[in-house]
Amino acid sequence: MRIKVDGSKCTGCRLCLQICAIENHQDINPKKAALRIEARFPDPGRYQPYVCTQCGKCAEVCPEKAIHRNDMGAYVVDPALCTNCGVCVEACPVRVVFQHRDLDRVIVCNFCMKCTELCNTGAIVKWERPAKPAAAREAGV
Amino acid sequence: MANGLAGTTLRINLKTGAIRRLPTDETLFRRWQGGRGVVAKLIYDEVPRDADPLGPKNIFIICAGIMSGAFIPAGSKVGFGSVSPLTNGPGDSNMGGHLGPALKFAGYDLIVFEDISPRPVYLVIDDDKVELRDASKYWGMRSLACEKALKEDLGQDFEMATIGPAAENGILFSCITHDFGRQAGRTGQGTVMGSKKLKAICVRGSKSLPVHDLPGLKRQVTDIMLRTQKHPNMEPWQKYGTAFFIQWSNQNAVLPAYNFQTTFYEDTSKIDGDQLVEKCLITHKACFGCWMNCGKYTRAVIPGKPEVHLEGPEYETGALCGSNLGMKDINHVAYLNWLLDDLGLDSMSGGGVIAFAMECFERGLITEADLEGRPLRWGSVDDVEHFLEMVASRRGIGEWFAQGTKRAAQKIGRGSEKFAMQVKGQEMSGYDGRWAPGMLLSYMTADIGAHHNRSWTITVDMAEGRESVEGRAKIVVYLQHIRPLFDTWCICRLFWGELDITPEEIVESLNRITGWGVGAEEVLRTSEMIWNLNRCHYLERNRADGRTFDYPPARSWEDKIPSGPGKGKGLSREQVEQMLDEYYAARGWDRRGNPTREVLEDLGLKDAADNLEKIGLLGEPIPGGIPRVRGEKYKPKAF
Amino acid sequence: MINVFLKAGSELRLKLKPDVDYYTRRVETEGGKTLREILRQIGLDPAFVAFAYSEGKLRNLDYIPQDGQNITLQPPVSGG
Repeated sequence: MRIKVDGSKCTGCRLCLQICAIENHQDINPKKAALRIEARFPDPGRYQPYVCTQCGKCAEVCPEKAIHRNDMGAYVVDPALCTNCGVCVEACPVRVVFQHRDLDRVIVCNFCMKCTELCNTGAIVKWERPAKPAAAREAGV
Repeated sequence: MANGLAGTTLRINLKTGAIRRLPTDETLFRRWQGGRGVVAKLIYDEVPRDADPLGPKNIFIICAGIMSGAFIPAGSKVGFGSVSPLTNGPGDSNMGGHLGPALKFAGYDLIVFEDISPRPVYLVIDDDKVELRDASKYWGMRSLACEKALKEDLGQDFEMATIGPAAENGILFSCITHDFGRQAGRTGQGTVMGSKKLKAICVRGSKSLPVHDLPGLKRQVTDIMLRTQKHPNMEPWQKYGTAFFIQWSNQNAVLPAYNFQTTFYEDTSKIDGDQLVEKCLITHKACFGCWMNCGKYTRAVIPGKPEVHLEGPEYETGALCGSNLGMKDINHVAYLNWLLDDLGLDSMSGGGVIAFAMECFERGLITEADLEGRPLRWGSVDDVEHFLEMVASRRGIGEWFAQGTKRAAQKIGRGSEKFAMQVKGQEMSGYDGRWAPGMLLSYMTADIGAHHNRSWTITVDMAEGRESVEGRAKIVVYLQHIRPLFDTWCICRLFWGELDITPEEIVESLNRITGWGVGAEEVLRTSEMIWNLNRCHYLERNRADGRTFDYPPARSWEDKIPSGPGKGKGLSREQVEQMLDEYYAARGWDRRGNPTREVLEDLGLKDAADNLEKIGLLGEPIPGGIPRVRGEKYKPKAF
Repeated sequence: MINVFLKAGSELRLKLKPDVDYYTRRVETEGGKTLREILRQIGLDPAFVAFAYSEGKLRNLDYIPQDGQNITLQPPVSGG
């Protein structure tokens, strides 16, 4: 399960940031969201959302081995191991690992998908790998 | 206390640079609800009645509402307020975008600026860090260029409000610009900010906003979201914003054309919503928490001029800088919108001032010699650009127009007062009231001069008879209580009003945020209280009976509409007087337009009554008493 | 005869008397009629329709709907 982004549809409403923080931190606080919206004005004059691509770089660089991939493909931070050192924040190629002074561990998207449920324009949508056709499955391909 | 308030109020003395942090007064917000309500109370209490609005004794207020930043649709707005230099009365202007929420997330509900800075400064707020910094690098920059420069210097995630050179030069209808295209336009709030040498406000916040019942709010709001996504009106709003309305206004003969000379414009199809979307649109732009995304970020492309980007033109600018100026190309309207935004001028008053000047030119009351050898012709973008530069820098005759149409007409004389389309010094919105009497009454009686956001009645006029003034007054009074509530709460009326969200639902979400257990009747009374306090303040500053200030320009009854579906229509002077009589009676004010002690004390405003009495402007008691409830909700016959 | 599907919210919706879903009324009418004529046919005063919206475009009341089209009717609102 992934999140597909189409920046040309983003209107900058920031509802995704709001619902992410409410769902995962029970807080009204866009700075606790696990994704970000970049505003590019006055040129070219549009928004670009950035969400986790599940590349695994954060897990790779973590000196405490505190980040692991789960069955859904999401990268989960173990709060017992995370020292909030921030190496993963720098390493994330999309810059969607965050720190917040209220928290003693980093924020990484857990793919709860709430942002996709609330996004009204299709800028951020749920994306599942298409199932293999029946013939390919039978052939064990 | 988890009640939607961020918790801190800032009092900043710009002369000394002292910044005081105070706990936000919850009682103040409980009684006055925030935004325009808090503005009304603070300026009444703190600004001396003879203070120059551009002098050190005026205060400049930024107030987020209790709902801004909360998880609530369109909880995006912030209110600016002060004594208006344009109307010499209470002034407030609210603005969408993302600044209100940013203030709340940084921890602030209210900022009050006092006195005047000795040198240009800008305010930087980064959570607990609050600093006034030297703005000499930015002073003189145009608004949009200034925001761009500040974002490069401070960081892209700061939300900002800037003023342009017009405000720095004291043009009375200067605005405040934010997020590359949202404005707080009306009443000259930018002018006051400029008079204090405050160039910009930059805010970044990372704190959580505590509310009373987050799980309940989340449930309610998610339900509203999913419901309104399917609402049939949503899609056209999302596609066009308010610009679609230009065609409707034209077909129903309320679109101002050529300085409100007529109300039908033959070239509407060149400047309407379809033109905007087809020719200019870059992206749909939303305010915080709103998926109606009515904002249209656009480009204006004119051969020989650099391409410019702006947000707009929305309905008001499309009308007042479009048909009202005889423009025949959406790119020209968009370009003028951009120019007004960048110079930092209210595009509504701007359109009104330009149109007035164009009619003066047409009639030979001002000439090319006055305009540095240039003409000022209907439909000429180049003529307007030159004129606006004269105005923004107060060059030559630009000095007169820099003060708005009312004062310009006083200078020009020779009957021009008749077509200075303003009330109390502020120019009209993009609707002509000659065939919509309730709309005219709305302009006449709005607390901040001719503005439509307090009360808009055109469909009521159409239902009840466009040539009759019957029953209009009570409906205007009711609307003047309901609509400004959104400006006290700092949520956007468009989202909440156009998608079938009931008043009960709004009050429910208010209570989930605040935990105050407020009822609908209480909020209406609060709104009426704010209205009456502003009226008292206006009378105390302007020292004459209220009725004196409530008349529209004489074009409203002397010039019948000359063309289009409204040809021949128009009110009589007697009807104008009748509307005022009925309006005052509906408000519990006397025939001179002055609030009576009975209504003021009913609203808990005894001190205001005493103050009026001391200067001889308290309303005479009304035989038989005031109405028990002021204002009546309109029940549409047709529906 | 053709079928046209009119949609509206708020007070306009109540007048429309939706019968397909919460917002939508099916109107059977002769092809070639304008929206104005169709509104009069169902007793709805065209003055209370600010504009119509169909197939992604703004329409005025002279628009002639085709069979099966969805037309949103918008009551006048107050700009901004």
